[in-house]
Amino acid sequence: MPEDVQMNDSEPQPAAPTPAAAAPALSTLHHLKEIASVIEAGSLSKEVRRISRAVRLTVALRRRLAARDVSAFLGFALPASSEAYARLTALVPKEDDTEMDVDAAAPATQISIKHGLPEIEIYCYLLVLIFLIDQKKYDEAKACATSSIARLKNLNRRTVDVLASRLYFYYSYVYELTNSLAEIRGNLLALHRMATLHRDELGQETLLNLLLRNYLHYNLYDQAEKLRSKAPRFEAHSNQQFCRYLFYLGKIRTIQLEYTDAKESLLQAARKAPTSARGFRIQCNKWAIIVRLLLGEIPERTVFMQKGMKKALTPYFELTNAVRVGDLELFRAVADKFASTFSADRTRNLIVRLRHNVIRTGLRNISISYSRISLADIAKKLRLDSENPVADAESIVAKAIRDGAIDATIDHANGWMVSKETGDVYSTNEPQIAFNSRIAFCLNMHNEAVKAMRFPPNSHKEKESAEKRRERLQQEEELAKHMAEEDDDDF
Amino acid sequence: MDPKLTEVAQMFARFKAAYARNDLDACVTLLSQLKVQLTKFPSLPPLFQQAPNSVEELKLARDIYEHAVVLSVKLEDQDAFERDFCQLKPYYMDTCGIIPPSPEEYPILGLNLLRLLVQNRIAEFHTELELLPVKALEHPCIKHAVELEQSFMEGAYNRVLSARQAVPHETYVYFMDLLAKTVRDEIAGCSEKGYDSLSISDAKQMLMFSSDQELNQYITEEHPEWEIKNGSVFFQKAKESQPCKEIPSLQLINQTLSYARELERIV
Repeated sequence: MPEDVQMNDSEPQPAAPTPAAAAPALSTLHHLKEIASVIEAGSLSKEVRRISRAVRLTVALRRRLAARDVSAFLGFALPASSEAYARLTALVPKEDDTEMDVDAAAPATQISIKHGLPEIEIYCYLLVLIFLIDQKKYDEAKACATSSIARLKNLNRRTVDVLASRLYFYYSYVYELTNSLAEIRGNLLALHRMATLHRDELGQETLLNLLLRNYLHYNLYDQAEKLRSKAPRFEAHSNQQFCRYLFYLGKIRTIQLEYTDAKESLLQAARKAPTSARGFRIQCNKWAIIVRLLLGEIPERTVFMQKGMKKALTPYFELTNAVRVGDLELFRAVADKFASTFSADRTRNLIVRLRHNVIRTGLRNISISYSRISLADIAKKLRLDSENPVADAESIVAKAIRDGAIDATIDHANGWMVSKETGDVYSTNEPQIAFNSRIAFCLNMHNEAVKAMRFPPNSHKEKESAEKRRERLQQEEELAKHMAEEDDDDF
Repeated sequence: MDPKLTEVAQMFARFKAAYARNDLDACVTLLSQLKVQLTKFPSLPPLFQQAPNSVEELKLARDIYEHAVVLSVKLEDQDAFERDFCQLKPYYMDTCGIIPPSPEEYPILGLNLLRLLVQNRIAEFHTELELLPVKALEHPCIKHAVELEQSFMEGAYNRVLSARQAVPHETYVYFMDLLAKTVRDEIAGCSEKGYDSLSISDAKQMLMFSSDQELNQYITEEHPEWEIKNGSVFFQKAKESQPCKEIPSLQLINQTLSYARELERIV
């Protein structure tokens, strides 16, 4: 890698990361320097975990970033002669420098880092990009993102992957903010291919989600599904990315009428998402509500009363109510009343599909209440307004019977519908099946939870005695073997 | 004007002339030649290279494919329709801003929706529908297809059939006829479950047959299990789910054992 060689040439300084305790007043710049030393440590010890921590710390700093901090940090982290320095400093707006010097002088002596690490360089790109996005300087942000992507293409280090995946995310985010997502589709595909070749699983995960988002932004469900079904899948590395993936998957499946699978994905996405991601969870819930309605289920009232979502879900609450009652008039009124919300949520077409569920529910209510009712009355109750409501009602009832929504027969000669006696469910195997599926769900949930637990490597090495550790490892191994066997059995 | 473009334009004019005098064989030969010629234009999808007369080229190519789609309907060739439509689609989706939208766009998109409906590819129907902007849904051709799908899902089959009288475009008739066949099968399936029996005249009317003979033939071909006696059609009911008399012991043992195993793992 010629680039790396060139970077290492530039005046190597002694690496001496110092703990933060020394600094009395912790300025933003100081924090940034600490982060840089974390990255450096991660890079030298090849521990990806430390780099993830650095990214997390940066996000916490995000609100406090100022132009002078960023440019001072660039001066600190990048060699002045490097290409990246020249490019990035040009993008950060200039402010008066007097204050900066005072601030920067003191801590600079305490923390110093080795110049020329690619991780640090990429981190600088990321920092500037986040800063520019927060400052709403989208054109500069685009330039920064593009040059960072160009730089990333020449790097192949696992420790960069974490930073790279964040960069991809913000890269796509800038283009989304400026409404030009279509431009970068080819680029993202190329990056995804590169990540696959490098076995950068986090990058693949992030890029796949970005691509899906890109396609779905333009409603290209067909392309999204084709990509998704062909892209390599593996165990999720990041919970956030996995949530996103589930959400996109749920959306695609909803459009393609695979409601049962869609419901599962959407509910799982809503459940797995962190509580702070309120917007995301609202979106998941909206889609999940519609899918459940399309499946003929009525979501419980608690779904709509979740903390902080009540207002956003109101249109969907009223919609659910209309479906529950089975009143076409009310349904139409709600759909019209909230037409703009539904258009904005892009659920308008799905709501059109719901009409048929409203009729079904209405029909089911009728079938439960009456043992015999004339088709003309059914048409009146369902408020079917067409030239020939009785014939419509007859064929609708016939289809509902065939699909198993109601249990009845039609008497064509007399023009009425006769509902059958509902038999005793407990005399069949139904309860047993329901019981089994619930137990299976709970057990599966438990296993998933166990699998999802993460521990930092070697964290309790010191505390345990060697013997205890051996014992524990053995137990773990047994358990893992056992679970693997179980899994094999299931297939 | 570019000589190559002129040549294709002239050939297309000949194609249109052949189409006008309903010489379908000549149309097909000319069309395949035209398609070969089109591959020589670099400004067409997927390359979209900038060229001085790319606008004319794109317009011409779109026009050719639009005619190809309509021709395939005339030939009643659904596979050709699908192929031609796939070639045409990029011109509608990806050329915004380069060439003005075609007046034929919505009728052809509606036609495609109808085709998907006839072939019972409902998932793809909805996928295509999502691609359309809100204002497209107002267009009579698209609206026609959307309403058909709704009536179809609801089970209001006579609304589907009466829509045949109100087709928005003459090319739609072919698919509407196909749809009528699909609808007949659906009605037959529903009647089987919904009625115990139907008089022959009612069944005839419902399944849209003009004579008893046609009805008899349909029943022997499609539903040999139906019975005709005393002037009525009797449907054989599928067996109802009987109350279970036997306990599915083996299955229960299996399930219980798996619960025990899982619980042991937890404790």
